[in-house]
Amino acid sequence: MATDKELSDFLKSVEKRAFKRTVYTVRDEDAALDIVQDAMIRLAEKYADRPAAELPLVFQRILSNATMDWFRRQKVRRGVMQNMSEFEGSDEDGDFDLLEMLETIEGSMGAESAADTVGREQILLLIESEIAQLPGRQREAFLMRYWEEMDVAETAAAMGCSEGSVKTHCSRAVHALAKALKAKGITP
Amino acid sequence: MTQLKTFSSSVDASGIEARFGLRMAAMLNEQADRTPHDISERLRVAREQAIARARTSRQLAAAPATATQRLGRAGNALMLGGGNPWFNRLASALPLLLLVVGLMVIDELHDRQQIQAAAEVDVALLGDELPPDAYRDAGFVEFLKSRE
Repeated sequence: MATDKELSDFLKSVEKRAFKRTVYTVRDEDAALDIVQDAMIRLAEKYADRPAAELPLVFQRILSNATMDWFRRQKVRRGVMQNMSEFEGSDEDGDFDLLEMLETIEGSMGAESAADTVGREQILLLIESEIAQLPGRQREAFLMRYWEEMDVAETAAAMGCSEGSVKTHCSRAVHALAKALKAKGITP
Repeated sequence: MTQLKTFSSSVDASGIEARFGLRMAAMLNEQADRTPHDISERLRVAREQAIARARTSRQLAAAPATATQRLGRAGNALMLGGGNPWFNRLASALPLLLLVVGLMVIDELHDRQQIQAAAEVDVALLGDELPPDAYRDAGFVEFLKSRE
C-alpha cells in the first residue's frame, strides 16, 4: 500500500507533465487543471491502497478517462473524433531524412549561446504547438513512451491497444513532428 | 542478405526515432519547468486535497473492519470462554452430564418413596390391635367389604 508520502511524491513528480499533456489535448488551461485535479482525487480515493509501483500506470488510465469524460461533458463529440482519428498517409515521408534532422537538433543543442535564449523559448512553444496538433492517439502514445518513460507494454496497457499499435503511433508521431519542425525551419 | 539489410535498417530507424523522441521529451521537460507560478500553486493545492481524500478513504476503510473484529472477539470470549479447546469440550459434555445426574436423583427419590410407603403399611399393620393373620381369613375380608 502506498503511503501518503509516496502518493504525494508521485503526484508531485507527474502533475506538471499531466497538466501539459491535458492542455495539449483540451487546449484550455482551466479545464486542464480541473481534469488533472479530478484525476488526482480519483486516484487518491479509489487506488490509494495500491502499491506505489502501480500508481503511474493507473494514473495514466485515470487521466485519459477523465479527459474523455470532460470531452463528453462538453459535447464536442465531433471535435474529439477528428482529434482522435488516425493520421492517414503520414508514412509518405518522401525523401525526408529523420537522422539528418536529429543530428541538426543535437548539434545545435550543445552549441546554444546566451543570445539564443529568447529564440529558444519561442522554439519550445512551437514544439508544444506541434505536439498539440498531433492526432490524439499518436500524441498519447508519443508522450507516454518518451515523456512518461513508459515501455511499449505499459503504454499499450494504458491506452487499451496492442503493442504494435503503440509502435506505429509513436513512429508516425515522430515523423510527423520532425517533418513539421523542419518545415518551419526549426533547429532547436 | 537483403533481409539482413532490411532488419538492420529497421533497427536503426527505431533507434533514431527513440533518440528523437527522448530529445523532444527533454525539451518538453524544460518547458514544463517553466510552468507559471499560479498554475504550480493550483496543482499543489489539488495534490494536497487528493492526499487528504486518500487519508479519509483509508480511515473509512479501516474503521468498520476494526469494529467488526472487536465485536467478534468479544462475542467469542463471552460464549466460548476465549476459545480454549478443553473448555469447549467440557461445555459440550455438560448437558449430558446434567441429564444423567438428574435421572439418578429421580431414581433415588422414587426408591425412597416406595420404601416410605412400605414402612407406613408395616407400621399400620403392626400397630393395629387386629392381628395380621386375621386378614388371611376369607370371612373377615367379606366382613370388611360389606362394611364399606
